[in-house]
Parts: sequence; structure tokens; C-alpha cells
Amino acid sequence: MLWARLRPEFLARYGLVWALGILVLVLSLLSPYFLTPSNLLNILRQVSINAILALGMTVVILKGGIDLSVGSLLALAGAMAAGLAIAGLSPVLAMGLGIGVAIALGVLQGLLVAYAGLPPFIVTLAGLTAFRGLTLVYTDGRPITGLPEPFLFLGNGTVLGMPVPVMAMLLFLLLTHFLLRYTAWGRYLYAIGGNEEAARLSGVPVAPIKVFAYAYSGLAAGLAALVLTGRLNSAQPTAGTGFELDAIAAAVVGGTSLAGGRGTAWGTFLGALIIGVLNNGMNLLNVSAFYQLIAKGVVIVLALLVDRLVRRR
Amino acid sequence: MALLEMRGIRKRFGGVEALKGVDFAVEAGEIHALVGENGAGKSTLMKILSGALAPDGGEVWLSGRRLRLGSVQEARRQGIVMVYQELNLAPNLSVAENLSLGRLPLFVDRKRLYTRARILLEELDLGFTPEVPVGVLEVGQQTLVAVAQALSQEARILVFDEATAALSAREAERLFQLVKELRNRGLGIVWISHRLEEVFHLADRVTVLRDGQRVATLPLSGLKPEALVELMVGKREAGRLDLPSPKAHPPLHLEVRGGGLEPLAFDLRPGEILGLAGVVGSGRSAVVEILFGLEGEGRVNGEPLRSPLEAIRRGVFLVPADRKAQGLILGLSARANISLPVLRELSFGGVVSASREAALARQWFQALGIRPQDPERPAGTFSGGNQQKLVLAKALATRPRLLLLAEPTRGVDVAARQEIYALLATWAREGVAQIVSSGDTEELLLLCHRIFVFRKGRVVAEFHPPYCSEEVVAHVVGTAQA
Ligand SMILES: Nc1ncnc2c1ncn2[C@@H]1O[C@H](COP(=O)(O)OP(=O)(O)O)[C@@H](O)[C@H]1O
Repeated sequence: MLWARLRPEFLARYGLVWALGILVLVLSLLSPYFLTPSNLLNILRQVSINAILALGMTVVILKGGIDLSVGSLLALAGAMAAGLAIAGLSPVLAMGLGIGVAIALGVLQGLLVAYAGLPPFIVTLAGLTAFRGLTLVYTDGRPITGLPEPFLFLGNGTVLGMPVPVMAMLLFLLLTHFLLRYTAWGRYLYAIGGNEEAARLSGVPVAPIKVFAYAYSGLAAGLAALVLTGRLNSAQPTAGTGFELDAIAAAVVGGTSLAGGRGTAWGTFLGALIIGVLNNGMNLLNVSAFYQLIAKGVVIVLALLVDRLVRRR
Repeated sequence: MALLEMRGIRKRFGGVEALKGVDFAVEAGEIHALVGENGAGKSTLMKILSGALAPDGGEVWLSGRRLRLGSVQEARRQGIVMVYQELNLAPNLSVAENLSLGRLPLFVDRKRLYTRARILLEELDLGFTPEVPVGVLEVGQQTLVAVAQALSQEARILVFDEATAALSAREAERLFQLVKELRNRGLGIVWISHRLEEVFHLADRVTVLRDGQRVATLPLSGLKPEALVELMVGKREAGRLDLPSPKAHPPLHLEVRGGGLEPLAFDLRPGEILGLAGVVGSGRSAVVEILFGLEGEGRVNGEPLRSPLEAIRRGVFLVPADRKAQGLILGLSARANISLPVLRELSFGGVVSASREAALARQWFQALGIRPQDPERPAGTFSGGNQQKLVLAKALATRPRLLLLAEPTRGVDVAARQEIYALLATWAREGVAQIVSSGDTEELLLLCHRIFVFRKGRVVAEFHPPYCSEEVVAHVVGTAQA
């Protein structure tokens, strides 16, 4: 069926692959270092944290929300895990508690959105501030260093030759893809984001699914926190500042509609890759950091324009 | 709740079905006229009420208590009194004695008897003394005594059957005054008469019987006499859908509270289509919303309906008025829209079975003839009529016992409209009870077994097509504005 092939998601997804392909081609022509295996692996490693956050963000945006708190949540979860491990708790348990705190605070924000009816933008903006404050209180504004071995493994280890952060990103990509593509809850997210009233009248448990979305974003923040803490070999109280915007950018470049109801895990992953490749390429070409910011902005707007054209067709 | 409720009364005389499941309700403080051609079943219905005849089926409730039927004594004890042409008076006894006839104690305290009689006669301003023998009074006065008698015997329901037939105009006028006085005292009054001027002059509401069936119950204010005549003897309206009669299975008992409505309870049989008519703001849309758990307090067979989710679990589904805003998720595929309410049943451990989902969509695309036949297209790309069929498919896929439809054909072209009507009739045949709330009276007359007309949160009239014309129903819906 021709129609099925021309569905907007399809075009959007393969459009992204084309965009990425062209970008890679241009950069490999411009820089001899670009297309080396070590550089490509490097890109994946650099992208991993943003991709994980962006996948969590996608789940929230799909249901028609936004999560501005993920950067602060990342810092708090990292500090908790590191602090507890330093205090003598088993490292694995400390990591689990770090992720647990991030999920719990995601649930809290979800409850405020779903049951108290507060706007997601405001609730998570408050979260952004409050969780950063909590982190600063908990760490007394100082980095936590001297972490035990398992943290380092998460940040710098490899499994079967693949860096653990990249592995974590790919697993989270598969998990999110599975959730969105194959489960009833995933479908409910699309339904709520597409038309909340119609979803409710179809018997979709709207409020619990909303809470779930913020909890999932919390999980992403917790996971990213562990990877980042391991990479830096320390928990920084200011870690993750501004990460929420990069995550939103990746989701949007990947075809996720900020109005909700449209987007895929793969799209977001490709979006994160495109931004990562662009950053990497501009570094290789010695583009100044100032111009890099401008370029990033232009790419986001371009992505939206292309997306609009594809949908209007 | 009404003071008197007769439900589903059936009576057969040999080959003649005199009453085919008649509902009849009288409020406290109302004069309710009962009209119909000769042989319509009026007398039979009242004989059943008075206990003189036992029905073949049905129930009678008085103030929320179920009556034992077929016993005159029981009906009398409960305060149901008939005032027939042949009066139930003893001509040789005095008025006072007649007032307590049938209840005279063994040793009569004459003084008390006469004092009480005098008080009552003065109260009612009847203008004769308790000592007169009834035999010397004129017929009209005798009728008044019969009414006073009913009152002194604590009647709650008073039935007048052609009570003015033998009275002069002046006597009749006196009787009307008395009957209105009784209404104001909170009695329920049934007034059977062939004289329509009388009915319009006296009664608050009227129930029309025809061929052993109720055609309509409606308020008389603002009604034209020709409209009433038409309900009694008019031709069957053409162009009506061939509806199956509702199944005899146990009905759904529905209760509706809140949402600015007067509490409402009614039964709906499987396969029965009930229409809700009324102007915007009359309360008819609140009924379907309450029954779908969106507001107020709805119940089906005593089970609460507190959210759409709960309603769907109990076999209730709403096809909402606004297709695009409430019915469909336009960006999702038709398949995903159809399966949304039943996704749980299509899933194993939270994972949706793609093959079962696709099969479900195909099945409903075929059953409803949805075009183009591609369930993967986004719902928003279908035409208006086909979108409405998608909403119907989604609703029917939940296998509802009760389907609620709000404005089911709004913005749908004529051809698709006919198809939708035919589909609803088909589903009625399958035993799905339906409630259609619509601003289109013609549509309701075409589609429904029964129509409730709403005014200010209350059912003010009830019609049973096919013997009511659109003019009559539209008139009652329209006067609902006033
Ligand atoms: N005792 C009876 N035996 C046989 N048929 C009866 C009897 N009473 C009423 N019917 C029939 O039942 C139908 C309804 O009659 P009835 O209740 O007297 O109508 P109405 O009072 O409206 O004129 C008529 O067809 C009548 O012939």
C-alpha cells in the first residue's frame, strides 16, 4: 500500500537518516579524522547522556508535556549515588537509590501535573530550581570525589569492546522503542498527547499514564546521572545544567511534536546523533564555540521547517 | 419519584390484547388526563389499578411500595378510589353516614360522625348539611358527596371516569373546582374523559392510549387540541425505520442524578432505542454524560458509573457529539483509534498483539463499510461520514450493552446518515440498548422506540412513535423553551 509508505512518521524517520548521511558525507570530506572508528565511537560516547535524557524527554513530550527538571534531577541523582557510596553503602545499592530518587521525584512531578492539574512547564520549572537547590544542600556545593570502582566502570569501562555508556544508551533506546511501539501504555501516551479528551472518553487511564511518563523521564535522568558521574569520576553539584534544553532539541530534531502525540524513539536517537555529529564535526574543524551555538539553533529551526513541510504535503 | 407508577401492564382478553405493556405514572398534586379512542384500553387500565381486574403482567407502585394486584380491598386500603358514573352511595343514608360508609364502627358515635362530616363539608365548601339523605340530592351533588367520601377515607389516588357525563354545566364546574382543590391538597388525580375541552380546562398532563399502547405523555399547556386529536387518531407516520421490538430480556435499570437534573430512573430493554429531545440546555446532554461517568452520579443495574473507564467496564459506551474534539485521535491510524478502548483485551502482559489488533480493525471496517478500506490511514484523513463510522466502530468494538449517542449524525451527509440509522437498527436487533440525544426531532422519530422530552432538567413529556408526527413532538420540544 503506497499510502502506508508515505505516512509522515515514515518520511520523518527516513528524512532524518538522509540528513545524517549527508552530514557524515560532508564532514568526512572536510576532515580526514572524522570517519575513523575511534572518532565515531567517541561521538557515540559523547552523545550517550543527551540521548538517554532525550528518550525520557520524548516519552513526556509525546503525552503532551515537557520535563525541564532532568538536568537538575541528573545532578541530584548523581550526588546521592556518589554520596551514599562514599558513606560506605554498597556501590550498587547506592546507584539503585540514586535512580530511585530520580524516579520518585519524577512521580512527584507527575502527580502534580496529573492529579493537581498544574501545567507541566511550571511544575518541572519548579523542579529544575528545587532539585538543583537540593543538590547544592546535599553536596554543600562541593564535588564528591574518590568514587569506588563500579562507578568508573559505568563511565569508562567496555563490554565486548563497546563503551558502557554507549551500551547503556542502546539498551535504553531499545527499551523506549519497545515501550512506544509495542505496549498498550505506549499507545496510551500517543493517544493522550494526540487528544486527551478523546483518550479519556476511550477509557484510557489518563492520570496514571501521565505520572508514568514523568517517572520514566526520572529513570532516564537517573541513568544518565550514573554514566556522567562515572565519566567524570566525581559528582558535580552543577552537573547537567542546561541539559534539558539539549534533550528537547534532540527530540524535536528527531521529529517529536511539542504539541504531543507524534514522535518515535528512533527519531529522537537520530536527532541526538545529528546534534552530536554536528558538534563533533565543528570541533574537528575548529569552529569557535560561539558559532557552534548559532549552528545548533539553525539546525533546530531547519528541522522544524522540514517537518512542517513533510506534514503539510 | 411519582406517587403512582404502573409499569409494563399487560392484559389479554381471549384473542384481544387490550394492554400491551403500558407504563403510566401520576405525580402527587397533578391532574392527569387519560385519553384515547373507544377500545384503547383506558378502562381496562383503571380496572387493574382498582384491583377489579388482575393483569397478565406488570407492576403497580404507590409511593415506592409495590401493590398486590387483583384485590379491590387492597387497592382501597392503599387509598386508590374510583369515582364512576354509577356512584357508590347509599341513597337512604344521610350524607354523613355515606361519608364513612364501609368504615362505620360497630357502635356509631353519631355526634362525632356528624361533627367531622360538617367540618369536611365546610372545608370543601359544598353547601349542604350532613343530615340530608343522599337520595334527595341532585346527581351533581351526589358526585360531590362521592368525592368527599373518597377524601374522608384518605384517598391518595382518585380516578374519575366520565364523571361529568350526567352533570349540568354548572354542576360540572362545581366538580372541577373541587377536583382542583383536591389536587392542591397533594392527591394524584386521573381524569378519563372524551370531552377534550374538559381535559384542556382541567388537567396538567395527558397520557394518550391507542390500541393498548401508550402513544405519549405530555404537558397540556401550550398544546393545540388538534395535536392531541392527532395523537389519538392520526395516521401512522411514514418513513420510519423498521425497528425490531425490544427483547423481553431483563431490562437495564438506569439511574441518573446530579448534573443539574431532577433525579431520573428508568428501565431500558435490550435492543430498545430511547431518544432524548429538548432544546440546548434542557438537560438531555447531561443524561448521557452522567451515564458515561463524566459528571453527576449514574448507575446501571445499581452499579455506579464514576468514570468512562468504569462505564466501559460495565458495558456502557458514549459516541460523543464532537467527533474531532472528543471522538477520534486524528493523528493516529484508524486501527489505533478503533482498538483504543479494548487495547487491554488485545494485549498479553502489556504488549499489544499486532495481529489481533489488525484483525479487529479489518472486521469493523468491513462490518460498517468504512471507505477507503485502509485502517492504517490516519483517522483525520477520512471523510466526515466515515469518521463517524470510525467512532461507531470504536464504540461497538467494546461490545456494549448500552450505547449512548450524542448527536450521532451531526455534520454527516444524507447517504451516510441513512447508513448510520440502518446500523443502529441492526445493533438494536442484536440486543444493544441505545440512548440517542439529538436536536433533530425527525431523526428521533425515525429511530426511537421511545422519546423523552426535557425541559429545565426534567422529563416533561414522553412519546412512543410511530403515531406521533414531527409537528407534535417539535411543538412540545419548542414550548419547552417558554
Ligand atoms: N371483559 C372484557 N372481555 C373481552 N374484551 C374486553 C373486556 N374488556 C375490555 N375488552 C376489550 O379490551 C379493549 C380495551 O377496552 P377498554 O379498556 O374498555 O377501552 P376504553 O376504556 O379505552 O374504551 C377493547 O378492545 C375491548 O373490546
